[in-house]
Order: sequence, then structure tokens, then C-alpha cells
Amino acid sequence: MSFPKDDVDPEATLSLDSGPVIASLERAQKPYVLEQLQGPGAPRRFVLQLAEMIIGRSLQAHISVDSALLSRQHVQLVRSGPEYACKDLGSKNGFYVNGVRAHSAVLRDGDTLQLGDVVMIYREGE
Amino acid sequence: MTDAFVRFWGTRGSIPTPGHRTRRYGGNTSCVSLRVGNALYVCDGGTGLRELGVSLMQEQPNDAIEAHLFFSHTHWDHIQGFPFFMPAYSSKNTLYVYDATREERVRQLLLGQMRSDYFPVAFSDLGSTIISRALETGETLIDGVCVRHIEQVHPGRSFAYSFNVAGKKIVYATDSELDLSIQNVSECDANRDRLRQLPAELVKFVQGADLLIADGQYTDEEYATKVGWGHARASTVVDLAVQAGVGQLAIFHHDPMHADEDVDQLLAVARSRVELHGARISVFGAREGLELRI
Ligand SMILES: [Zn+2]
Ligand SMILES: [Zn+2]
Repeated sequence: MSFPKDDVDPEATLSLDSGPVIASLERAQKPYVLEQLQGPGAPRRFVLQLAEMIIGRSLQAHISVDSALLSRQHVQLVRSGPEYACKDLGSKNGFYVNGVRAHSAVLRDGDTLQLGDVVMIYREGE
Repeated sequence: MTDAFVRFWGTRGSIPTPGHRTRRYGGNTSCVSLRVGNALYVCDGGTGLRELGVSLMQEQPNDAIEAHLFFSHTHWDHIQGFPFFMPAYSSKNTLYVYDATREERVRQLLLGQMRSDYFPVAFSDLGSTIISRALETGETLIDGVCVRHIEQVHPGRSFAYSFNVAGKKIVYATDSELDLSIQNVSECDANRDRLRQLPAELVKFVQGADLLIADGQYTDEEYATKVGWGHARASTVVDLAVQAGVGQLAIFHHDPMHADEDVDQLLAVARSRVELHGARISVFGAREGLELRI
């Protein structure tokens, strides 16, 4: 295949001056965050960096909170595409999303997560 | 102790409503799964059913899938996901379709919406074994779960289902205009705080449910112009839950015009009505992706 010489200059289509800019590649990423508002250690914020994270009393938990009301491994956060889901790992006191006791839930921006006396707000990233 | 896991795959009424306004409660139409051990029960096949299908295929790609399907009725928002339910296409799977009308009506309409005018694949080309079963009046034991049904007030008929297992009771009751069967109408018209008494048979059907999933599409103000459309005021659903001594009430079949904030407001009013009646019921909005352990 050849380009008709007069019509198209292949060099020009590659030039940044004239080509479309893919803005999303340039934009700084907004992180996924859990803001802890209540409970031991609050206030503080946890950036969700891994696709799978555990919240619990254990020091080995990715998000470790020293509360007697938390199980050692209380819930697991699992990322799937652009969303995180929170799943109970058989904890003693369970967890609540916006006041509803859940076994698991796909989280949405602004959701309140409660595990024992630990209250956190989920902030969706981009 | 046997646990029952209830998951919402679609909670919207009437038509799918994707987009930011409905992100929290979700935009897919009616579909709820109940899992007890290895047995799977599915209430309605709205567009949420597609998501359930995808999830089942991911979770158990090599195992045969067996599912018991219950339809409240066959309005579009309750059957539209069926042609997109992936497990229906595999020969190793078996779907039991229950019919409360006992006229094979559900099967005929699932089949009808897959006519070539509407859809490229014919019902007869679905690979799975699809068995239609008429539901007897009274109760039916299905894989250890006792299932009952009752007819509701809705244009073209609809049915509620109750599932009893190991002392737990879950009721799925959508597309029901409770307001047309209030027994003490004049008292309630005179005093809006008055408990709206519902038919004894219905109250008994719901009695003691750990979880009631019920159509509460309208606010009191909206309902005034929507009488006869087949859906209830959330406040009337609360009154049913109070009379039946329900543990948790999931308001379901969200109005397509309601953004998440509108649903929040409707729920706040519903909760204050629970308080007004001096009851203790956990009221929440059914939302996509939420799973409860009962
Ligand atoms: Zn409907
Ligand atoms: Zn309907």
C-alpha cells in the first residue's frame, strides 16, 4: 500500500503538534484509599496498593488495627477491574457497609465500612 | 447450622439505568440469588441475571451448574437477562424453571422473547437442559429448601416466594401494589401515621421472615399519581414488615427516576416510619453486589 503523495504526509500524522493527545496517560492517578475515622489509630489513611489486602488485628494483616473487636484476619479486599469488593473472612463481629451487616459487598465511593469499633470511609480512585 | 447467602445482582425496577446517578444501588433490573450449600435458587431474570451467569462461569468453569429459577412474573424487567445467562448455553447445565401459574406461562414467555424478531439465538438452541415445573399450591421441597408462593396485586399477575431452610426464612416479594389491599383504608386516609393493615393471608406468608425483599418503589407523594401501576409505597412495605415481625427489610425495585440520593431519602423516611410504629427492623436499600449471610 502507498500513500498518495500530495494528500498525506505520514510524518505529519505522528507529530504531537497535530495528533490527538491521550490525556489519561498523562494524568496523575488518584489512589484508592480507606480513611479511618474511628477506632484505635484514627484518624489515618490507608492507600490500597494491592489487588488483595487483608484487614485485621494481626500484625501481618496489610491493614493492621489493634482493636480487640477485630478478628486476626477480619475481611479481605479484592480488586476486580476498577472496583474493590470487601468480604468477611469468618470474623467474629462481622462487618457493616453503610450500617448493613454484609457477608460481602462491592464498594462504592463514600461507603462507610465498620468492623467492630473501627470505622472507615472508602474513597474510590481512578 | 446451614447458612443462606443472599446476593443482589439487579435491584432496579422497570428498565436498566446505568450511569453515575445510580452507581451505588445499581442499574441492573431484578435478580437475586440464594445459595444454600451447593443449591442455587434465583429470583427473577432481569439484566442482573447476566452478571450472575458470568460469576457462575468464573467460579465453576468445569462443573455442571444446576439452578432453580423463580419468576415473580414475566414483565420485561424480570426476564430480559435470561437470553444473556451464559450457563443456559452449556449442555452440562440444568435449569429448573418454576411456574406458579401452572400454565407453562413462564417458559412460553422466556421462549417468546427469544423469537428471531427479538433475539438471534432461539430458545430451542440453548444447550442446557431446561425443565419447566409447575409449583403446587402449598409448599414444595426443593433440594432441602421449602418454597411457598402467594399471588400479589400487579397488572398481569405476580407472585411472591418464600424460602425456608434450617429455621431461616427469606421472602422475595417484588412488583406488588400492597396499597390496593389495605384493609383499613378510611382510617389510614384520615391519619397517615396509622398502621396500614394488610390481608391476614399475606401477613402470615411473610410472618417472621429474617429477610423480606420487597418492592418499595414509590414515596407517598409519587404514589398519588401512580395508583394502579403495580408498585407499592415504601411506607406501606414498612407496615407489612412491622405486622409480620420481619427482621430485615430490603427495599427493592428502585424507581428508574431515582438517583442514589433519592433512594437514600426514601429509606430515611421508611426508617422513621419503623420508629413511629415502635418496631425494630433493619431497613436498607437493596444494592447490586451486596451479599448477606442469613
Ligand atoms: Zn418490575
Ligand atoms: Zn411488573
